[in-house]
Formats: sequence, structure tokens, C-alpha cells
Amino acid sequence: MSKRHLLALFTDFDAAEKVVTELRNLGINGFNADKDMIVKSPIEHPEVEEFLGDRPVRVQWFTLFGAVGMGALMFLLIAAAQGSFFAQMKGGKPIVPFPPDFVLTYELFILGGVYITVLGFLICAGLPARRSPLYSAKVSEDQIGILVKSEESASGTLKSIFTKHQALEIQEEAGK
Amino acid sequence: MKDIREDIAWAQINTDVLKSLENPRKLYWVILFIAIALVGVAVGCEIYQYNMGLGVGNFDNPHMWGLYIASFIFWIGMSHSGTLLSAILHLMHADWRKPIYRFAEAMTTFSLMTAGLFVAVHLGRIWQIYFALPYPNMRQVWPNFQSPLLWDAMAIFTYLSSSILFLYIGMIPDLAICRDNIHSGWRKRLYTVLSLGWEGTDRQWRNFRMTYLTIACFLIPLAVSVHSIVSGDFASSQQPGWHITSFPPYFVAGALYSGCAAIITLFIILRYVFKFEEYMTKSILKKVARLTFAIAMIWTYLVWIEYSMAWFGHNPHDKHLLIEKATGTYAPFWWMMNFCASVVPLTLAFKRFQTNIPVLLAVSLLLNLGMFLERWMIVAPTFADGYYPWTWDHNQWPSLVQWGIVLGSFGWFTMLFMIFCKVFPSVSMYEVKEMVYHRSLATKKLQATGELAAAGKGAH
Amino acid sequence: MSITTLFDNYSEFRHRHPDGDVPHNPYKWAMAIDLDACSGCNACSVACYAENNLPVVGKEKFAHGQVMHWMRIERYWDHDGSEFPERGARYLPMLCQQCEAAPCETVCPVGATNHTPDGLNSQIYNRCIGSRYCSSNCPYKVRYFNWYDYPTTDNVWPAEMNMQLNPDVTVRGKGVMEKCTFCIQRIRGAESDAKTQGRLVRDDGELQTACQQACPTSAISFGNLVDPESRVHKQWRAQQVDLDKHEQVKDQAEGGTDLRGYRIYEWLAPYPSIMYLERVRESEI
Repeated sequence: MSKRHLLALFTDFDAAEKVVTELRNLGINGFNADKDMIVKSPIEHPEVEEFLGDRPVRVQWFTLFGAVGMGALMFLLIAAAQGSFFAQMKGGKPIVPFPPDFVLTYELFILGGVYITVLGFLICAGLPARRSPLYSAKVSEDQIGILVKSEESASGTLKSIFTKHQALEIQEEAGK
Repeated sequence: MKDIREDIAWAQINTDVLKSLENPRKLYWVILFIAIALVGVAVGCEIYQYNMGLGVGNFDNPHMWGLYIASFIFWIGMSHSGTLLSAILHLMHADWRKPIYRFAEAMTTFSLMTAGLFVAVHLGRIWQIYFALPYPNMRQVWPNFQSPLLWDAMAIFTYLSSSILFLYIGMIPDLAICRDNIHSGWRKRLYTVLSLGWEGTDRQWRNFRMTYLTIACFLIPLAVSVHSIVSGDFASSQQPGWHITSFPPYFVAGALYSGCAAIITLFIILRYVFKFEEYMTKSILKKVARLTFAIAMIWTYLVWIEYSMAWFGHNPHDKHLLIEKATGTYAPFWWMMNFCASVVPLTLAFKRFQTNIPVLLAVSLLLNLGMFLERWMIVAPTFADGYYPWTWDHNQWPSLVQWGIVLGSFGWFTMLFMIFCKVFPSVSMYEVKEMVYHRSLATKKLQATGELAAAGKGAH
Repeated sequence: MSITTLFDNYSEFRHRHPDGDVPHNPYKWAMAIDLDACSGCNACSVACYAENNLPVVGKEKFAHGQVMHWMRIERYWDHDGSEFPERGARYLPMLCQQCEAAPCETVCPVGATNHTPDGLNSQIYNRCIGSRYCSSNCPYKVRYFNWYDYPTTDNVWPAEMNMQLNPDVTVRGKGVMEKCTFCIQRIRGAESDAKTQGRLVRDDGELQTACQQACPTSAISFGNLVDPESRVHKQWRAQQVDLDKHEQVKDQAEGGTDLRGYRIYEWLAPYPSIMYLERVRESEI
């Protein structure tokens, strides 16, 4: 049996929460609540995470390695540059002076941290993302969308759940 | 008076902000043309200076630096506004920043771009500016990492690229809204590409929130360090009037001050032009005015510390310089600076003026004038009345070439900002929705528990 | 390769201010100028123009402060209530002090100014991008910037005068900083000649800076400070002026001192390499 997508739109987070709880508890055949359901919303909502379950956010690991690594690397590069082939003495200061090197290391630590965090964000969030087969502009306006992927046989059950919770619109993927 | 009306429909927010992206009226094109003309003036002056040499700027020995460095610091200073709103207030959960931080962040980015131009313009041999970059070469010659100018280069590069990334990342959900609602030609393609396929899924939002918070946490020490490093250009030297330990906090305070004043100016302009009265409310304006007043007082304190230490310290050169600032060649500008930057902000202490739009517009422009003069008064008097008496024999004023380029920089900034406002949403739609949502939830909770009646007021 | 070179160079150049622990070897170029002998004739200044290809900027730019004299004669008058106050100028020849801890060296963004092992402050014209931070940080303001492109400006070196240019010295274009180099072209020439003969440069007149050579009263003495036979070493010793101190012991002595030697702005601790011998005055200051 082929899998098909359904998109249901709701007016607020409460309705969406009820739907998700029901879908989770119902245990429909061929439908895994964790993998086959995506909630889309116009704003972030920490409570969504609560009823969807805890999913780890890995971005900050990127940050840690990127920032510390970049800082250390830069310090070594700068010190090596200062002490390289033609040692250029300046102003009676040591060849590898710590105060300027510290300032630069600090800045480049932040640079590395920000760049790697952005990279980590793109990787963890899966951006740039391929567009979903079903999408409604209302999701970016004021409605909550729930996209589910299920067997054709289960779509009737799903639709009835959606209608029970006052779905404003239900989109169905065209048959193959 | 509420920061925002809690019953604004989210669809309304979309419509109102997207309306600002429509084809502009004639006045927009007029002002844009003027801005571009000013840029043309600056380019002309620069070409003349490039061909003839820096002497046409009226520089001499000892007046080696002038308006270029002063403007450079001024523009870097103005850039601190965006970080203040985006990052610092975000960490403090001050949600009244939400309708206004987008244009402030844009202002940061464009200020930094303008400041970068002045680094180039100020050099004697611009065509070799790449010597300041650390690239491996056959002669094993590296830039001098001990030089504060080089720290500037690294710090500003970091700040500029981080600001652009922060602005862009924060704009992705809004770009998705634009993609969904604007369907014509190049705009649709632009938004589709830039929004990276954002659909507001839970996975995307979770990571987004974490990223935003992390970058905000990085940006705050970065902003503080950038202007401290810029102050190091002066504090690391040993010239009188420059070798002052309070320069890093003084410069950072001046930067925040300048940025806040610019926020007020642009707030008033955007509110009027795009009819954003629902979002850029007078209540928020009042908060920004109060914040500006607080920062103005911090700056005033720091500048008076500088004067007091020069007066009471045992260094005769510092004291001589202070007296020269007040009574010498540059005295009228010095006094104007002190008036604009210390006396004018006192108007912001009065409730009557904190929401009076014409007064605030005038005050914010005067504050920024004061801040520009302040930068100039840091640079010029030390050259005119430094250590060496032989150098005290002549006055120096910047030539029209210098003024032309400085004026052109304002045109450049205006041009960039105006283009930004018409291509990208200058109010953050999703954040305003969040603000409305959370405030209405809070009000409902209060109502439910009956506390609202007891408190007697809605949002602060 | 860089990490080993880093460690090698670190130990070799590690000393900070001019410390006694790593004295200059074999050369440390220094100068002493006797202000009592100086008559203010400006011959040194003109000789410097000739030797180092300095552009003559003309009356208008001079008045604007854009003059290029590496060696300048400053004039000071006392306000001592005398009958003709405009008489009796004191002359001070001021040139780059070749500071051991030069404030200009640390602030150049591209490293166009550095310190040589023989104690000179070097200026590398083709590295300079013209940020002018070095001059901003100089307490003496002895650095001069090429505000215009003098080789292509009229009347700077009009026809046939360009034949006078010294081939050993670069002619600078616009946008570079320049300053006195202690006639480094002459120093390197003398060092090279001495080396081929297997010896060091002697203080017998074989090496003279242009200003020293032109001075009619021999007010300027220049040479190797670490050579005990050189005139400049003997003068510094006699005046009890140490290179690596920012306050001389003799100045702390009770009741002052009769010794005339001093360095300008010594207390700022740039450790300048030029000692001035104070003018003998009729009365105490």
C-alpha cells in the first residue's frame, strides 16, 4: 500500500495538541506518531515540544567545538606568524606578545562560534529543506498545520479525527 | 498605554507589514535619488583624493587623522543599536523589542558597511589595503598583530559577518511569509531562495530558537569588545587625551547612546511612512526614550570622569589639552558637543516629551550630532595640542573633500536602508505574533485568576 | 617549519626593553647633538634633503604644515622679560630619535616599521599603506607623510635637478610615511666595506651621516654606542646617560648635576638613541 500525505489546519495550539495526543494514543496501523507526523506553526511554541515529546537540539555541540577549536587554532596561527622566518621586533615588545594575541583570539573565538553555530543550525534543522508535498500559506499566517503520512487505508480514520477537532481545512495528496 | 494591542489578528500583522513591501510612492524615489547623489559626491571626492594624494584633505604634520577616523568610529558606534535590541534585550526577555529590532539590526549591518568604507578612504595607499590581511606569501611577511588597527580589522570583520548572519537567520521565518504571500516576479524567486524551504516545522523551530539564543549570547560580548578594541586605537597610544583607561567603557557607552538615538529617529520615520502605529507604538517609543536617557547619563558620567581626571591629575599635558579643548581652536565644537550630548538628553527625563514625536525626532538628531562631534573632538584636539610644542603653531580644519566624503556616507547608509525597507520586512512578523500571543495569554491568565481586576491595569 | 623558527626567534629576540642582559652586538647606532655648538645654520637640514631625496614642497604647502624636512631646526625663545625678546633664539635640531621602544613600531597595521638588530627604527616604504598611526603615536612628531605625489609634481625636482637625486635612496611616491633613517644607506655601505676587510666599522670618519658631515661646528656626533673607542660612546659615558633607563641616576642626585646630557621625553620611556647636550646658559634656569 502506498503512503499518502494529509494536511490538516487548525486555528490554535489547543486543538492541535488534542489531535496530536489522540493520534499518539490511538496507535493506527501503519502510522508512527513520532516519524510520520510533522506540526507546522507560524510561531515557535515551547508547549508544542511538550506534547510532541522531547527531541534533542544538537546545535550547541557545534558551537562548543567550533568556538574553542577556532580560538585555539587562531592563537597558534598568529603566534606562528609572529615568530616566523623574519622576526620583526617592534617597540621593545616580545616577539609573541600575549595581550594582542589574546584580543585577537577572543574575537576569532566568537567568529568561529557564530559561523559554526549557523552551520550547525542549518544541519540540525535540515535547511535548505525540500518543500513538503502539501503546504498551505495559512501555516505562515495564523493556523497550525499537522502533516501526516499514512497508509491509504488509515486516511479515513485520520480524517475523522481531524474533523472531530474542528479542522479548518484538510488537504489530501492526489492519488498515484 | 499598552506596548501593543493584544487582540490584533495574526493575519492582520501579515497584511500590514507586507503592505510596506509594495511599490513605493514618488517621495521614496526622490529621497533615494538624493541619497545616491550624495554617494556620487563622495565618490567624486574620493577619486580626486586618490589621484592627488591625501594632502587635498588638508591633513598635515601633526594633524594626521581627521574626519575619516571620526566618522569611522561614529558609524561603528551607531551599529551597536541592533545588537542592543536583538541580543541584550532578548536575553532580558524584554519583548517590547520585537516590533523594532528588525530595522535596528539592519541599521547595524549598514552602519558597519559604511564604517568599513572609511577605513579604505583614510589610507594613503588604498590599493594595498590587502597587506592588512593575514595571507601567506613568499616573503613570510605578516601584518602586525600588535597594532590596534589590525585588531579593529578582525573585530569589525567578525562583527559585520556575525550581524549579517544574525539578521538573515532571524529573518528566515519572515522570508517564508513573504514567499507565501508575494507572488510577483523577482521577489518571489528571491524569497523562495532565501527562505531555504522554511515551513515552520517543530524541528525547525526548536533549532531556530536555540541558534538565535546562542548567537545572541555571542553577539553581546562581541559588541562590547568591538568598540573597546576601536577605543584601543586611542587608549593604546600614549598621546595626551587618548591614553585614558576609561576609554573602552566610554566608547561602548557612546556607541549604545548613538545607536539608541538612531533607533528613535528611524522608529519615528518608519512609523510614519509605513503607518506602523499599531506595532511601533508610543509606549515602546517611550521605553526607547527612557533607555536612551539612561545611556546618556552613563555617557555623561564617563565623560565627566575623563575631564575630572585630566583636571585633577598630575599630568600637565592632559590638563593643558583639556583647557585647549574648552578655549582653543575647536572650542565652539567642543561646547556644542557637550551641550548636545549631555544637556539635550535631559528632555527625555520628562514624561511629556517621551511620547512627543516632533520633540523626539529633533532630540534624537541632536544627540547623534553631539556624538559625531564627540568623535571628532577625540581625534582632532590631541593632534593640535599634543606633547610637542613645535606642533602647536598652526590650526587645521578639514577640507571640503573630507566633508564631502563624510556627507556621502550618510547618503550611502540611507540608500542601503531604504532599499532594505522595500525588499525585506522591516517589522518582524513572527515575533510580533509571538508578542501578541504571549501577552494575550498572560492577560487571560490574570483575568481568570481575578488578579487583573485587583491590579487595575493591563500590560505595563 | 614555523613552529621551530618561532621557538628559535623567541629566545633570540625575547628581551623586552633594551636590557643589559642582551646588549647590542656588534653595532648600536646612536647620536649626540651639542646644542651649545649648534648655531642654527640649517646646513644639516639641507644636507639631509640632498642625501635622502627629500622633496621641496614649496612655500604654500610649507605654511600648511606639509613640509618634508627629516631634520628640522626648531627655534625657541625665552619669555624672560628682556628688552628684545625676539633675539636669542635657541636651536634644537630634531630628527627621528630611533627609539629602542618606539611607540610607532607597535601600531603600524602592516608592519612597515620595525626595529633592526643594530638599534635602528626601520621604515619600509613599499609595505606602508599610509594609515599614519605611527605618526599619531610619535611623541616627537618626526614622521613625515607624502601628502602628494612629489615625483610627478612640478617644481619639486625640475629638470636637471633630478640628476642630483641619490641613487642609493628610494624616491617615495604618495601615500607613504618616511623619516630619518640615520642615513642607513651610508651605514650599510660602510658595514659592507668593513666586512670585506674583516673588521667592524671604525669611528674615524669613514661613516658619517649627511647631517654630521655638513655641520660646520661638529655639533653632531654619530657612531656605534657599543664601541668604546667611538666619540658618541665616550660622550654618553661622560654625561652618565644610559640607553636603557627612562630616568637617569644622575638626575636623581641631590642638588642636581652639572652634566649637560639629556634625552627628550625620556620619561615616556621610548628610550631614544639621541642624546642632546644642553646649551650652556649664563644663569640657572
